[in-house]
Amino acid sequence: MFFNSLAFAIFLPIVFFLYWFVFNKNKSTQNALLIVASYYFYSCWDWRFLFLLVFSTFLDYFTGIQIEKSNSEKSRKFWFWLSILVNLGFLGIFKYYNFFANSFAEMFTAFGFKASPILLNVILPVGISFYTFHGLSYVIDIYYKRIKAEYNFIDYSLFVSYFPLLVAGPIERATHLLPQVKVKREFNYETAKEGIYQIIWGLVKKVVIADTCAVYANAIFDNYPSMNSFSLILGAIYFAFQIYGDFSGYSDIALGVSKLFGLDLLRNFNYPYFSRDIAEFWRRWHISLSSWFRDYLYIPLGGSKGGLWMKIRNTFIIFIVSGFWHGANWTYIVWGFINAVYFLPLLLSNSNRNNIDSVVLKWNLDSIRVLFSILTTFLLTCVAWVFFRAKTITDAVLYLKRIFTTRDFAFQYLDNERYNFELLLMIGVFVLVEWNNRMKVEPISGKKSMLKMALAILAIIAFGTYSDYKEFIYFQF
Amino acid sequence: MKKFLLYIFKILIVTILVAVLLDGLYTYVFMQSKNRGKIEAVVNSKKEKYDVVILGSSRANNHFVSQMFEEKGLKTFNYGMSGGHLFEASLMLKLMIERKYEIKNVILEADLNLSNDQESEGVAAKFLPYIHCSNAIKEHFLTEENFNELYYIPFYRYIKFDSKIGFREVYKIAENEKTNALDNLGFYPLEKHKNGNMKNNIVNLNPLPHNKYYEEIKHICKKNNINFIAVMTPMCENVVGMNYFDKVKKAYPEIHNYENVVVENKYFSSCGHMTSEGARLFTGRIINDFFKK
Repeated sequence: MFFNSLAFAIFLPIVFFLYWFVFNKNKSTQNALLIVASYYFYSCWDWRFLFLLVFSTFLDYFTGIQIEKSNSEKSRKFWFWLSILVNLGFLGIFKYYNFFANSFAEMFTAFGFKASPILLNVILPVGISFYTFHGLSYVIDIYYKRIKAEYNFIDYSLFVSYFPLLVAGPIERATHLLPQVKVKREFNYETAKEGIYQIIWGLVKKVVIADTCAVYANAIFDNYPSMNSFSLILGAIYFAFQIYGDFSGYSDIALGVSKLFGLDLLRNFNYPYFSRDIAEFWRRWHISLSSWFRDYLYIPLGGSKGGLWMKIRNTFIIFIVSGFWHGANWTYIVWGFINAVYFLPLLLSNSNRNNIDSVVLKWNLDSIRVLFSILTTFLLTCVAWVFFRAKTITDAVLYLKRIFTTRDFAFQYLDNERYNFELLLMIGVFVLVEWNNRMKVEPISGKKSMLKMALAILAIIAFGTYSDYKEFIYFQF
Repeated sequence: MKKFLLYIFKILIVTILVAVLLDGLYTYVFMQSKNRGKIEAVVNSKKEKYDVVILGSSRANNHFVSQMFEEKGLKTFNYGMSGGHLFEASLMLKLMIERKYEIKNVILEADLNLSNDQESEGVAAKFLPYIHCSNAIKEHFLTEENFNELYYIPFYRYIKFDSKIGFREVYKIAENEKTNALDNLGFYPLEKHKNGNMKNNIVNLNPLPHNKYYEEIKHICKKNNINFIAVMTPMCENVVGMNYFDKVKKAYPEIHNYENVVVENKYFSSCGHMTSEGARLFTGRIINDFFKK
């Protein structure tokens, strides 16, 4: 059941009605309903993986309590490592086992040994990377005594399995979401209205921008050996907007849906393509994952406290692990590595926190410099996205090489009967709308919101791509 | 909560209004389309006179050279549609009758397409903009599973088939961008391809004993005094399951078997589609057999 499906359009009003009109007696009934709805939502993909989700939830719930109850450090450590290893074990088996088995086999073959790895014929449970990280953060926070263990299983289950964030985040923190599920939610008109704005804008991003860009980006990436420089550049730009529209669109819908139930989720995107450097980009892109790695990997590794080499090492580790989190493929690892390389000059010059404030442009030379830095950052991310999108590293390298070797900048007719430049106007309008509303969460709220809502609905209906339907990219992670 | 429900109601009203307005706008634009495709050309025309009208799939579109009929003094148009099934061929004929066309002969390519009586979504979608303006189209889709959505939900059909009749197509019509569908009097010539697939396996294909739309076309022709000629058109040499054509002949004895008229691979662009050279040989034979004065 996808957020942009008819099934969800039926599911959501039913749950909304039951939540506010039938199960609104107290927080327990509200939570119980949301849990049932969440499990139903999840089972629509594959009910068998529901057992995995429930097991993972129970494991972290149980180990969390055991860590808190333990009198000795040895016992605390035991329960802590049990949770970490089992969680990562599931992730390893379902997501990474085949990758490692194949990689080792290839390595042995390269050294002249014959190796035929035993591969697992399993499909990746949807959302496993997200709910595993929910559980991990919870257990780590208890271990480091940042939070208390949750003794109410329903409340804890809702924190892990709450359907808006279950399959593609944002990756929530117990410190943020658990206190909200511990109290009865009262309906708030303004919050619910904000939710609707976010849902509508998320749909614009998904069906108008992402799915349309996907049609063009796929036609270019899948046929890159016959594409000229201009098409290849456009292909990278289209993919950049596809993945942004897809993932931030999903996050917007998730946050909007959650607001309808009176629960506030962590913001995941903050106009990342208006960043002035890579460090700022990573403070604005997939914020919940970046901050997760910062808090649970980078800082425990020593963060930026050690010497220069320590800082560099930690930076590369966090980016490479972040890349690997996305998928079991070398392309994601290289994507992470490239981002680390981009980040390095900022780290070495101690300027990685230069651009904290929002971008404000005035009619002066400094604004030109700012625009130039935004454009440069965007182009750098586009280069990295080529590795993210390509099937193999070789494909990515050849793709980038062709940009510089073909030197042909003519408009090409793509094999899906579209001209490669057709989308630029739509993207241009989208960028302008986002730019003018970059101080807000979404562009619909504010003055003349009903008119803006009508225009957004018009865009969804008239310009959306439906027949060439695309799943949300981040569901596969 | 009451305020919120009222707000949601307003959004629903806005959505319906937008859908109705867009539906009207798109339909209006499609009603102006005359040079984008065969369906649009027929819908937006009336009282044409033809000696020969050719119907069928791409195996009609690529195989009947309309000019050769014209050279014989027969006013002809090839309305074969690539990817089309008999569902669309039948509807095309109904539309022509509705538009008061005067037709003397209908040549129907009836061979592989006899194996199903389903619509071909991609081609059938192109009729949908006119579903409210043509009884023939409305009636034809009436038995389809999603008729109610397509007919009653404003703009639904444009969303469902956005790649065929969506924004891009509307934009191209508004821009008056022409396609080659109507060139060569509807005949689309193919060239010899180096990598053309010269193998085909039709072992699992079986003609339906009473193909609904084939019978419909036959019936329309009879009712309107149109001479009905149904033919099977050629396939390349390497086809597994050639007895399919015998099965067709057995089920529909009135269909003329021209499968063997052109066989050499050099006349084929791919196994089921002849080159323009092969099409000329084949068309010559058809003219000779049916229109020799």
